[in-house]
Amino acid sequence: MPSVNPTDRPSRARRTAILYGVTALVSLIGLADSIYLTVEHLSGRSVRCTITSGCSEVLSSPYATVRGFPLAGLGALAYFVVFSLATLAAFGYPYVGKLLTFVVAAMFLTTLWLLYLQAFVIHHFCQFCLLSALVTTTLTALVIYAQLKTGRG
Amino acid sequence: MKRILPFVIIAFVLGAGLLTARYLQRASSENPKPSPTPGASPVATTTTVNPGEPGAEPAHALGDSKAPVTLEEFGDFECPPCGALHPILKAIETEYGPTKLRLIFREFPLVPNHVHALAAARAAEAAGLQGKFWEMHDMIYEHQKDWHEAFDVRPIFEGYAKSIGLDVQQFARDNTSEIVERRIFLDGKRAHSLGVQATPTVFLNGKEVPFESLPAEKLKPLIDKELAAHP
Repeated sequence: MPSVNPTDRPSRARRTAILYGVTALVSLIGLADSIYLTVEHLSGRSVRCTITSGCSEVLSSPYATVRGFPLAGLGALAYFVVFSLATLAAFGYPYVGKLLTFVVAAMFLTTLWLLYLQAFVIHHFCQFCLLSALVTTTLTALVIYAQLKTGRG
Repeated sequence: MKRILPFVIIAFVLGAGLLTARYLQRASSENPKPSPTPGASPVATTTTVNPGEPGAEPAHALGDSKAPVTLEEFGDFECPPCGALHPILKAIETEYGPTKLRLIFREFPLVPNHVHALAAARAAEAAGLQGKFWEMHDMIYEHQKDWHEAFDVRPIFEGYAKSIGLDVQQFARDNTSEIVERRIFLDGKRAHSLGVQATPTVFLNGKEVPFESLPAEKLKPLIDKELAAHP
C-alpha cells in the first residue's frame, strides 16, 4: 500500500478542478462553432469557407441532418451538456466525471464517423466540422487524463 | 454559494448561447430593420436603399427596365441552393411577365469553395457575349449535378455552348477574355458594396430578401406587395 501524504489531497482536487475547468472552456469553442453551423444550416445558404473547400457540400449533404434536425444542432446540445457536466465536475460534484467521460466518448465516436463521411463519402471537408473534430478530440484527451488523475468519478 | 455557482455559470452560458444564435440568425438573414409587428412582411421596411457599386453593365436582365419590380440575384452556379432557386425564379419570371417584373443576374462565384464556380461564371458570361447568356445560365443551373463533380468542366460547357447554337471557338476564346473577367469582377464589386456574403442573395427593389423568404409561396406575396406599392 503506497503511503498518501494528507497534504496531497487538496492539491489533487485542485488539479482535477483545473482539468475539468479547461474541459469546460474547450467545450465552449465547440459550442460556438456548432451554434454557428446550426444557424448557417438553417439559413440554407452556401457559405464561404476560408481554409478548406467544401462547406456547402458538407452542410447541404443528407448527412447534415438527422430526421430533419440539423446535426450541428445536436452537436451544440452535446457541447452544452459537456460544458455543464465539466463545470459541475470542476466544482467537485460526485459521479459527474464518469458521466462526462461517457458523453465525450460517444461524441468522439460520432466525430470519427463524421470524419469518415467527409473523407470517403462526401469527398469534401468543411473547416467548421474539422474544428469541431479537433475540439472533441481535445475534450476526449482531457477527460481521459482527468479520469486517470482522479481514479474515480 | 459554492454549490449554486456552477448552475449560475451553466445558466449564463445557456443564455449567452441562445442570444448568440439569435444574433447570428439575424445577421444571416441580413435584415437591416426587422419588421416590428409579427406576421408583417419580412422585407426590410427601411426606405433607405443602398445603391451600391453599379456592377457589370449592361446587366443580364430579363424584363422591362421600367417594370415596377426588380429582382436582382447574386448567384454562384455551383451552389446547390442557387440551383434550387433557379426554377423558382424562372417560374416567377414567367408568371409575372416582363412588364411587371425584371430579373437581373449577378455573378458571385464563391471561390475557392466551389472549384468550378468561376469557370461556370466565365462560361455564362462568354455566352452572353454572343447574346445567349440566359440560355447558358439555364443550361448550367439545370445540369448542375452533371458537371459539379467533373474534373474538367471546359468540354462540358463547350458542349452546352454547341447545343445552344454558339460559335464554340469564339466561346472558348471569350472564356479567358478580359471583358469576361471584368464583368465578373464588377459584379463581385457590387456584391461586396451591398454586403453580400453568401449565395443566393436576392434583392427585391433594392432591399435584400431574407433567404427563408425565397420559396415561391413566400416570395410571391412580397412581389405582390411591391406591385401594389408601385402600380
